[in-house]
Amino acid sequence: MLEIRDIKTTYGKIAALKGVSLDIREGGLTCLLGPNGAGKTTLIWTISGILKAQSGSMKLAGEELAGLKPHQIVEKGVVTVPENRLVFPEMTVKDNLIVGAFSRRKAKGGVEEDLESVLDRFPRLRERANQEAGTLSGGEQQMLAVGRALMARPKILLMDEPSTGLAPIIVEEIFEIIGKLRDEGRTIFLVEQNANLALDYADHFYLLEQGHVTFGGQPGEVDHDELIARAYLGARKAS
Amino acid sequence: MDYFFIIDFLQSLVDGLLFGTTYALIGIGFTLIFGVMRKLNLAYGAAALAGTYIGVAASLAFDAPPPLVFLLSALGSGVIGILVYYCCFRFTPTHYPMASLLASVGMLLFIDEVVIHASHGMPFPYPSVFRDATIELGDVWIRGDLLFVFGICVVAMAVLFWLLYRTPLGLATRAVSQQPRAAALCGIDPTRVNLLTFGIAGILGGIAGAMTAAAVGVISPIIAMGLTVKGLIAVVIGGLGSIPGAIIGGLLVGAAENVFLLLRGVTERDIYVMLLLFLFLTLRPGGLFGSSAGRD
Repeated sequence: MLEIRDIKTTYGKIAALKGVSLDIREGGLTCLLGPNGAGKTTLIWTISGILKAQSGSMKLAGEELAGLKPHQIVEKGVVTVPENRLVFPEMTVKDNLIVGAFSRRKAKGGVEEDLESVLDRFPRLRERANQEAGTLSGGEQQMLAVGRALMARPKILLMDEPSTGLAPIIVEEIFEIIGKLRDEGRTIFLVEQNANLALDYADHFYLLEQGHVTFGGQPGEVDHDELIARAYLGARKAS
Repeated sequence: MDYFFIIDFLQSLVDGLLFGTTYALIGIGFTLIFGVMRKLNLAYGAAALAGTYIGVAASLAFDAPPPLVFLLSALGSGVIGILVYYCCFRFTPTHYPMASLLASVGMLLFIDEVVIHASHGMPFPYPSVFRDATIELGDVWIRGDLLFVFGICVVAMAVLFWLLYRTPLGLATRAVSQQPRAAALCGIDPTRVNLLTFGIAGILGGIAGAMTAAAVGVISPIIAMGLTVKGLIAVVIGGLGSIPGAIIGGLLVGAAENVFLLLRGVTERDIYVMLLLFLFLTLRPGGLFGSSAGRD
């Protein structure tokens, strides 16, 4: 569905992505693993248009996304749940969700229905619908960030480290939400530090090390322990 | 304390609070622009002045009636606000705050010079309405022209609140000022929001300029400095980034300057207003409503 070919992105003078190619397949959970500093978040920011790729292409069903601005990429249906959630802290939960539907304001209608369905999906958000988002717990803010992205009716959901800074029990809950979204047939691209948990849910995965994709496949095909060691430590060889 | 002094004091206070709404509008303008861009636009007061002169030009050119002069002043200032955005903010590097700040200082001087040239530095009459009407509350009188100024400014604030809290544009503006990156990821074009914010802030500035001139009955280029400085003081007192703060700050500056005028005379008035600024910067630098929350 989204074909990423030979993407190079520099961050200041540092080459963060040195030619990344991967495919995000329709109707499945594609997971990107890798140690800190491998360039995972840089890739998310490049796909979402916040960083500009120096070269390479990103084609959504044949249509080139590279060079578009962030708001245009959202309008194409590629929607990001950013790292650290980035909710609008002084807006109510409800207003946060309504902002999420901004990209489709021209095609009027459906926003109320979508708002209801997101609040049905996350009852904790319904309880706090009129509360300012800054007062929510980390887990609730993560739900809000996911809900906000769903309001845009995404074709592809990009999720950047949804488990960051959350207690283990909350992380489990967030992953159950992600698993449910996958089971509904949505296309998800998940960037995650927590390789162990991510591999339980992934249909496909890639390993990013030092700006290169060094490995790709399906979770069943490989020795998880070695993969996880590399995902955490970035070792070239685990043994 | 004798009775007449108390009446004089109350009179000054009332006049100052009514007129302070113009400072509040300027303060709101500074705060709106700071909110979406985290940058100070120092050319703002000058743009308001230039807009007001556009209204004067219309009244001279085709004898426009006062409401039209006011309207053209507001719209003119909005257009100049947008020009300031393109000249000083749109293309300057965002990670280098000095660039846009100094560009806006240059623009302040540039606009001021253009106005002085075009008007030969002469004050012009500006339409003032309800000059002779007064409402008497005991021995304190409410001047009709100041009440008009107050009314227009309050209506402008009400319209602004409606825009911010009841329209998609307002939602987008609030989103950009609270979390610009997430706003872009929600499909909001921050450049467009910035542009519209400069336009709206410009209109508010034009209204403040027009009402300042209407309260005095004349317009002269020196008004720009007063608007800029008093507006900034209002914002510092209220807390940069807070609209309620800008309103309270504006009223406070208006009241304080009139009371100092009564107590110390016109030559010393601004000295004490400046001292008030230093007092706040030292003791409460975040202002009364200081909250810069929302930025990571």
